[in-house]
Amino acid sequence: MDEEYDAIVLGTGLKECILSGMLSVSGKKVLHIDRNKYYGGESASICPLEELFTKFSAPAPDESYGRGRDWNVDLIPKFLMANGQLVKLLIHTGVTRYLEFKSVEGSYVYKGGKISKVPVDQKEALASDLMGMFEKRRFRNFLIYVQDFQSDDPKTWKDFDPNTANMQGLYDKFGLDRNTQDFTGHALALYRDDDYLLQPAIQTITRIKLYSDSLARYGKSPYLYPMYGLGELPQGFARLSAIYGGTYMLDKPIDEIVVGEGGRVVGVRSGTEVAKCKQVYCDPSYVQDKVRKKGQVIRCICLVDHPIPNTKDALSTQIIIPQKQVSRNSDIYVSLVSYTHQVAAKGWFIAMISTTVETENPEVEIKPGLDLLGPIRQKFVSISDYYEPIDSGLESQIFISESYDATSHFETTCLDVLDIFKRGTGEEFDFSKIKHELGDEEQ
Amino acid sequence: MATTRIPEQKVILCGEYGVGKSSIFRRFANNTFVTRSDRQSTLGLDHYDKIYKVENKNIKLQLWDTGGMERVASITSSYYKFAEAAILVFSLDNPASFHVLSQHLLDIVTYAENAKIFLCGNKEDLVNNVSQVSESEIESFCEQCHNLINTTYKTSCKTGVGIDEMFEDIAYQLVQSNRSRIELQSMDSSSFKIVGPAENFDDDSCLC
Repeated sequence: MDEEYDAIVLGTGLKECILSGMLSVSGKKVLHIDRNKYYGGESASICPLEELFTKFSAPAPDESYGRGRDWNVDLIPKFLMANGQLVKLLIHTGVTRYLEFKSVEGSYVYKGGKISKVPVDQKEALASDLMGMFEKRRFRNFLIYVQDFQSDDPKTWKDFDPNTANMQGLYDKFGLDRNTQDFTGHALALYRDDDYLLQPAIQTITRIKLYSDSLARYGKSPYLYPMYGLGELPQGFARLSAIYGGTYMLDKPIDEIVVGEGGRVVGVRSGTEVAKCKQVYCDPSYVQDKVRKKGQVIRCICLVDHPIPNTKDALSTQIIIPQKQVSRNSDIYVSLVSYTHQVAAKGWFIAMISTTVETENPEVEIKPGLDLLGPIRQKFVSISDYYEPIDSGLESQIFISESYDATSHFETTCLDVLDIFKRGTGEEFDFSKIKHELGDEEQ
Repeated sequence: MATTRIPEQKVILCGEYGVGKSSIFRRFANNTFVTRSDRQSTLGLDHYDKIYKVENKNIKLQLWDTGGMERVASITSSYYKFAEAAILVFSLDNPASFHVLSQHLLDIVTYAENAKIFLCGNKEDLVNNVSQVSESEIESFCEQCHNLINTTYKTSCKTGVGIDEMFEDIAYQLVQSNRSRIELQSMDSSSFKIVGPAENFDDDSCLC
C-alpha cells in the first residue's frame, strides 16, 4: 500500500468501478480499495440467500426457498436501457464480454388501480386499453411525429420549435389528455416528476426515441438485465481496471483521507499505512463530512413464488406507477426478475418496489406497488439516505459520487460517472484508448 | 453471428500470484515466454480464443487470465461464472503454492460448480526431477478433494514442455463430457452478449 498513485478509488460500487476502469484505461496508476470483503458495495448482489435474511435480521429461510447459493439478490433494483448510456459504456470498454443479458419481458404502466402494457408503436397504441377511441388516434399521431422527428431537419418539426417551445406545448398541439401525458412522460420518457413539462420539448422527444430505439434492439421491452444479477456489473468494470494495471484491495478499512496544504488531498490512511495520491474518487460513505442529505429512497425486496398477476406470466417485468395516479410527486417503480436470470432458486421471483420518500410513513407510500404483486412470501424494507457532494471536488481533488437514486434504470448513474470523470481529468473519456486486442502492448 | 457456431468453452486459470498463470496464458495465446514475471507482464491479458479439433469436431477453448487481481485482493466471483473448466496452477518449486490450493478449489466449487477441474504443476524446468512437491502429495491431495480433479499435468512455460498437450487433453475431455450439452447450447439463445454496432456510438456528443 505504501506507494504513490495517480488516483485512489474508495468503494467498489458500480460508479466507482466504472471510474476506476476509465482511469486505468486512460493510463492512470490506480489503487482501488473497499472496506468490505466483497466487491460491489451497495451495488452487490447478495448471495447466498441466508445472508440476505441475516442482513435484515430475519429468521433463516426454510427449505422451500431452495438452495441459498442459487440466489443473487440486488439491493438496488435497476434495469439497463438497451440503447442507453450504460450499454454504450459496456460496449466501448469491452466489459460487455464479461456479461450475459436477458431482455426484460414486459413493460407496464399503472392506471386507475390496474396495469396495462406500455404502448410504444402505432399498432400498440391503437390496441391499448389505456385510452379511449379518439385519444388513441391522437396518441398515434403523436408517436408518428416523434418517430419521424429528426433534430437536424426542421422540416420534420412540423411548425413547432422543440428547442424553444416546451413539452406541454407539444402535448397541446396533439391534444393529448392528462392521462396520456402521464404515461408518455413517465413510462416512455421515464421522467420521475412533472418538471419536464415546462422544459424544451426536444429533451422529451429524445427520451421517447431512446425508449423506442432500445425496444427495437432486442424486442420485448427496452430493458436488459444481466445474468446472476446487477452485482456482475461492478465486477466487470473492476476486471477492466485490473487488466489495465489497477491494484485491488478488499477488506481494508479507511481511517483517514489525508489532506495537505491548500486543502488538496495527498493520500489515504489505513491504520499506520498511508498510500499517497493526487486524487481520490469515492462514494458518499467514505466522506461523510463532504456530503449532504438530499432525500431518502425506500426500496422493498419481495420474494414471491409466482409471476406478477396480469403480466401474462412474464418472468421479468417493469411496472411504472406515475406519480399523479397515486397523488404523489414522484413515481413508484416495480421491477421483477426471476430464476431465469440465475438470481433465485427454481420457481422463485424477486420483486422490488422503489421510490423517493415523500412522507413520514414511507411503507404506506409503496402500498400501490405491493398491492400489484399478489401474495408475498417474504418482504425486506430498507430506507436509505440519498447523499450528494457539497462541492465539485476541484479544489480538494476529492471527487464524490451521488448515492443511487430511485430511478429504474442506469441513465442518471452514467451521467454522474461521466461528469465526475470530466471534473477529475478535465476531459471527456476517450474511448479510443481501449485496446480490444490482446498483445497490443507487446508489439 | 449467424454463422455456424463453434461451441465456446470458458477455461479459467486459478492459483497463487506468481505461479505462472500469465505465462501459461502467453504460451496458449502466442507461444511466447517472458522471463521477468513482474506485474507489468500481466497487463492487458484478458482472454484468448483458440480452436481445437477433437474427433473431427471443432471446439473453441477460451482461456481467461485473472488480471492480477489475486495479488492483494480476491478475484471477483464473476471471473468464475460460465466457466466450463478451471486449471488449478501451482509451482513445482514452491510447496506453499501447492498447499494453498484447497482454498482456490473451494472458490471454483462455489462459483463455478459445473466446471471440470484440472491440476497443473508449473515450472518443471526449475526442479530437475527433484520436485518440491512429491507425487504422493499430489495424489493424496486429489484423493482428499473427492476426485474433483480430473487430470494432473506438469508443464514448463519456460521451455514450453507440456503446455500444448495439456490444452489438447482438456479440449478432448470437454468434448467427451459436454457432447450433449454443446449441442443443446448451440440451440439455446435466450441470454445473449451485447455486441455493437459500435459505429453507432462513435459520435462523441452522445456521451456528454
